[in-house]
Amino acid sequence: MSAIVAKHRTERRLELPDFCSAPTVLAVVLIVVLTAIVLTLAHQSEKLALWLDLARTALLMLWIGLGCAALLCLLRRPLARLPLTTASALALLSVIAVVAGISAAALWVGRSNFTGPLAGALMFPANPVKFMVANMATGAIIGALTLRYFYVLGEWRRNVELQARARVHALQARIRPHFLYNSLNTIAALTRSDPARAEEAVQDLADLFRANLNERRGNITLKEELEVARIYQRVEQARLGARLHVIWDVTDLPMRAQVPSLLMQPLLENAIYHGIEPRLSGGVITVSGALDGDTIGLTVRNPLPDEDHTAHRGNRIALANIRERMELMYPGRASVEAGRSGDEFIVRLRFPYIEDGTRAAL
Amino acid sequence: MSQRILIVDDEAPARERLRRLLAESGENDVVGECATGLEAIQLVGELQPDVVLLDVRMPGISGLETARHLALLPVPPAVIFTTAYDAYAVDAFEAEAVGYLLKPVRAERLRGALERAARLAPPLLASLASKQPATPRSHVAARLRDSIKLIPVREVFYFNSDQKYTSVRHAGGTDLIEDSLRALEDEFGGLFVRIHRNALVNVEQLAGIERDAEGQYLVVLRGSGEKLRVSRRLASELRERLQI
Repeated sequence: MSAIVAKHRTERRLELPDFCSAPTVLAVVLIVVLTAIVLTLAHQSEKLALWLDLARTALLMLWIGLGCAALLCLLRRPLARLPLTTASALALLSVIAVVAGISAAALWVGRSNFTGPLAGALMFPANPVKFMVANMATGAIIGALTLRYFYVLGEWRRNVELQARARVHALQARIRPHFLYNSLNTIAALTRSDPARAEEAVQDLADLFRANLNERRGNITLKEELEVARIYQRVEQARLGARLHVIWDVTDLPMRAQVPSLLMQPLLENAIYHGIEPRLSGGVITVSGALDGDTIGLTVRNPLPDEDHTAHRGNRIALANIRERMELMYPGRASVEAGRSGDEFIVRLRFPYIEDGTRAAL
Repeated sequence: MSQRILIVDDEAPARERLRRLLAESGENDVVGECATGLEAIQLVGELQPDVVLLDVRMPGISGLETARHLALLPVPPAVIFTTAYDAYAVDAFEAEAVGYLLKPVRAERLRGALERAARLAPPLLASLASKQPATPRSHVAARLRDSIKLIPVREVFYFNSDQKYTSVRHAGGTDLIEDSLRALEDEFGGLFVRIHRNALVNVEQLAGIERDAEGQYLVVLRGSGEKLRVSRRLASELRERLQI
């Protein structure tokens, strides 16, 4: 395709929470204090009272925890631009660096202020090397667990949001009112001149709206979806007559493949609305599909309007909509390309072949 | 007196239905039907109908633009728009402006609109034509004796005005139109550029700028090879815009 106006493939990114916001800081403080309690209880110091031991451990760890939060707050934007694994490794490294820095500072404070037989010396570690190594190891483990916790939380939120958006968009993907009224007008004309065709058109319209208004219908088979698109074509055919010609080249497709419902019909609707209706002489729409390994490719081509001063705004909404619903069903494995090529507008969908009855592996 | 009616709709079933509804309501005479705005303008000139039933959304020239051109006729027909669903049309004509009917059209509404058209439409149509256009037209219209000649805006080389008339020089010759240069500049500002107090040139037609012996700037037109004077005041602006 020579001029692709939109291409889309999502990549996963490390989306850290805003470590400068109060709720996240509170979560960090809670994690730190709870870990300090666990460590103190497990450690059972013989030299110090339990509360004193907890206080010094918590003091050190709060410095570390808040230091990490401050650093990650600063690094959030640059990290979000890197690939997921690199960003995660860098985030963990910065946590370990903060642990090392604060631990070294604690050693320095102990050595410069609490030397000799003063009671305070008991608060500081006797073996600096062991202290540093143990702290960095602990920091790495707890840091990794915490980052993982925030990542999973973020993913879960994103998923909930995506699903809500997909539901809204499934609603928006519904047939244009323009189509409904025009079809009713055609039927009104046919009732007298050709009652048999009027009856057929009413049945087709009923099937089409059943497919469109069904709330629970998430995914259907490719066969069912193509059937809906063909019914749509029949209704439009009655209205546009010889101006509309659709070529279906889909026999090679696996008909049992699972697809999000209303995948093809909105594409056909767009092709007719933007490509056929504005043309005096009408034109040919080609719907073709093929299975390439385990990837299904679907293509819809339509001619460009005679005079193209209309923006394809409606078109872009429909495409964004299909793109999001495909992303939800096949995360990171589907693509939608759309653009002009010569005197045609072409939309290409690619998505994995998942058979009816088997679940999509995430 | 029976009304002479022209039906304009790009969909055959829609035309067929209007024809039947009109046949059943008596007192009228369908003199013709066609599928596009261009044909409609031609047929109105030939057939002189009293009323045009005009679809809003059609390929080529829309129903709205067709109506604006028809309003230039010495005796314009009454226009009743028909539309399946078009929020914009409803906005633009705010119900009482010119009659419009929602498809599928009801027989009694059609009768009502025809009665109203007979009484009211010509003056309202004139006021519609004088309204500032919301979107630029695709054609400008030259009024001939009792028909209208449409000139695609893309084929216009330039508009030129003297004291009284605006002339349009285009691929097919020169014609007089009724729009003022000022109104044309407002409507087609993105496509045309003012080079002189009395000339507005299609940007696509500009081949280059020259200077004659007296230091006067001239633009050279691509289509006709003509050279037009550029006013001193607008020359630098023009050169900036064309990056010459």
